[in-house]
Amino acid sequence: MNTSRSTARAATIAAALTAIALAPFTARAQTAATAAPDDIAALRAQIAALDQKLKVLERNLEIKDEAAVAEAKKQPKITASDGRFEIVSADGANSLRLRGLVQGDARFYFDDANAATDKFLLRRARLIFEGKFAERFNYVVQPEFAGSTVSILDAFVNTAVTPSVNVQVGRFKTPVGLEQLQSDPVAFFNERSIATNLAPNRDVGVQVFGSVLEQRLSYQASITNGVIDGGNSTPASDNNEGDFTYAGRLFATPFVNDKDSALKGLGFGVAGATGNYRGSTSATLLNAYRSDGQQNIFAYRTNTTPTAANTTVAAGTATVLSPQAHYYYGPFGVLAEYFRSSADLSIGSGTTQNAREVTNTAYNLSVGYVLTGEDSTFRGVTPKSVFNPSAGTWGAFEVVARVAGLDIGDEAFIDPAGAAVSLAAANNATEVASYGVGLNWYLSKTIRAGFDYFHNDFKLAKGNTVPASGNALSDDEQVVITRVQVSF
Amino acid sequence: MKTSRILSLIAAVAALAGAAFAQKPVELLNVSYDPTRELYVDYNAAFAAHWKAKTGQDVVVKQSHGGSGKQARSVIDGLRADVVTLALAGDIDAIANNARVLPSDWQKRLPNNSSPYTSTIVFLVRQGNPKGIKDWDDLVKPGVSVITPNPKTSGGARWNYLAAWEYAKRKQGSDEAAKEFVRKLLANVPVLDTGARGSTTTFVQRDIGDVFISWENEAYLAKKEFPGKGFEIVTPSLSILAEPPVAVVDRVAKRKGTVEVATAYLEYLYSEEAQDIIGKHFYRPTSKKAAAKYASQFGPVKLFTIDEAFGGWTKAQKDHFDDGGTFDQIYLKK
Repeated sequence: MNTSRSTARAATIAAALTAIALAPFTARAQTAATAAPDDIAALRAQIAALDQKLKVLERNLEIKDEAAVAEAKKQPKITASDGRFEIVSADGANSLRLRGLVQGDARFYFDDANAATDKFLLRRARLIFEGKFAERFNYVVQPEFAGSTVSILDAFVNTAVTPSVNVQVGRFKTPVGLEQLQSDPVAFFNERSIATNLAPNRDVGVQVFGSVLEQRLSYQASITNGVIDGGNSTPASDNNEGDFTYAGRLFATPFVNDKDSALKGLGFGVAGATGNYRGSTSATLLNAYRSDGQQNIFAYRTNTTPTAANTTVAAGTATVLSPQAHYYYGPFGVLAEYFRSSADLSIGSGTTQNAREVTNTAYNLSVGYVLTGEDSTFRGVTPKSVFNPSAGTWGAFEVVARVAGLDIGDEAFIDPAGAAVSLAAANNATEVASYGVGLNWYLSKTIRAGFDYFHNDFKLAKGNTVPASGNALSDDEQVVITRVQVSF
Repeated sequence: MKTSRILSLIAAVAALAGAAFAQKPVELLNVSYDPTRELYVDYNAAFAAHWKAKTGQDVVVKQSHGGSGKQARSVIDGLRADVVTLALAGDIDAIANNARVLPSDWQKRLPNNSSPYTSTIVFLVRQGNPKGIKDWDDLVKPGVSVITPNPKTSGGARWNYLAAWEYAKRKQGSDEAAKEFVRKLLANVPVLDTGARGSTTTFVQRDIGDVFISWENEAYLAKKEFPGKGFEIVTPSLSILAEPPVAVVDRVAKRKGTVEVATAYLEYLYSEEAQDIIGKHFYRPTSKKAAAKYASQFGPVKLFTIDEAFGGWTKAQKDHFDDGGTFDQIYLKK
């Protein structure tokens, strides 16, 4: 009963509303039927005038919108994505991009008489300022905040003279070691291989680089102050007699443009550097070598006993050569390189005492396989999903393995000519064999966790005895290096 | 040994650079005013073919269009134009004076005061000319809706403004009367677009207004492209001789290494092939041959020059369009 009454009321209201709505049209129809032609013309004119007014209003709004869009184009653009922040001038000619890298490690040394201590470590903490100015000049400034002092790792400006010729000036990586040139956050392992001990690192100078043959061949050529074996340039390294170091690298990727080729990810090449070095007892220009666990396993003699004259210094030409290759196919990746580094050394500067050439060699063979199917590339792995347990996604997982070796030339320890004075300090490895396996977990594009296990076998120099417990070489090294990394 | 090593490196770099330069097409940016889009699309293709045949080098010309005054401001603000092809000399003068990227005597570097073609101002009206527009006087009548862009941003609008001013001044005898005439005309303008192409859109596509004060070429283009709308062109009894100029932006071209090709790009505008393209797009060619070929497509009109009526662009700009000029006096009161 109530339902039928409310239905009837609704119908009445609807009829009333319809009548009200139609009333003006009915009236107008009646008016039109009785109106004079002049009235109709006037009405038409009025409608035309109203139509013009409406169009004018719409057009003015359109122009305002166009002006707002044009004005917005003049404003600098600020974008933030994947933790990357960027400011770009309206014309795109100038920009500043802020990136960062933070790596926190937990390191555990096993079964060791060599007594390296387990520890947490802030391995890297970098802010990377990069961008361009005046349209064609790119810059990078990369300070390192981890460690006891703040240092500048990279600081360079480069410009493309042509698409194939770029010129770079400043402090940058010397173009020799393949793994060294790969960005650290995307390498297979948490630490680069022991072979990188023989690759010159960052140096100050000028570099020309580019690629030709449609990206099939890339080249780098640099003139720098010069650093030997794994070193970074320091103010002291600028003092090597004013001679520069010349480095060059040719790297071919012949199938890079063949989209469907299984060899698309194949790259191979050769790199090298040579320069003249004259160290002093206070700045030897020589570097120690480190194990996978970052313990010093080889160093040249220093002025501990009995006088400065017993310090080994760079004393002539140093040359490093490195054939190198990588191959990536789908989730599989492999990187291989070999180093042969020779340097003229002597004990005490300005003398020829025990002067001789020492040749060291090293190799690295690393492989990786992305279990979740993403592509492995020289620029790293981009996970298809991010870590989100509630959505059932876990990111990407990659297993990695590595074998590497380092061989210090016998002449570093025994003078072949008969003067049995070692250039090396006491308790040094002469050969190191390194084995590593690991798991990388890409929680997102910016966050990676790495779990690596390394075993380093040390062979001591002839005549050396195994050091007592507490020395890096007292036992083989077994270490687990875990890392959480934020890279954006 | 050391010297020879450095020389070897330099030679290798030079060889690589040379090879790269040889392969790379040269790129120009032509910053132009609103209605020249179609003209320069055709001209750029012709010039690229000419340059390739002459030098073996590929050239790609990028175009930027907008209100002439606005475009000049962009170049002053740093837009890296190799060449500017604007609606009026005053805008290129502004670039020369404010940005100092080309010399103040730039207009002497090419023939005809660096204007490879001329044009004028006409009226575009709707089919049947329902408001009976015949001359400038009809534009100030009540109820006539006039479309013209903003003289602050559009070169074409400045030509329109000055043509109306001079017509009234000659007819009524004083600048004050001319000012009142232009005030009435602007009162009939419902929409001020920033450029001539915007005004074309307003009149042709948005169906606003009874008459569009238009570049001659723009009016013919609208008539040709919208035959169904039945637009008609009315040539006023007096109009202005527009001489859109062109210039290489020296400092930018030097930095980009494009001086030679940029200069050739503008010089080629005076060639017979280019003059023919100019005529096809309803601009008035300066070469006698092309001018004769296309003379019949333009209506007869008595023309005056900016120099004889206003003492040149610098003075006209100062008196009428700079801040506080007659346009501001009229329009801000509106």
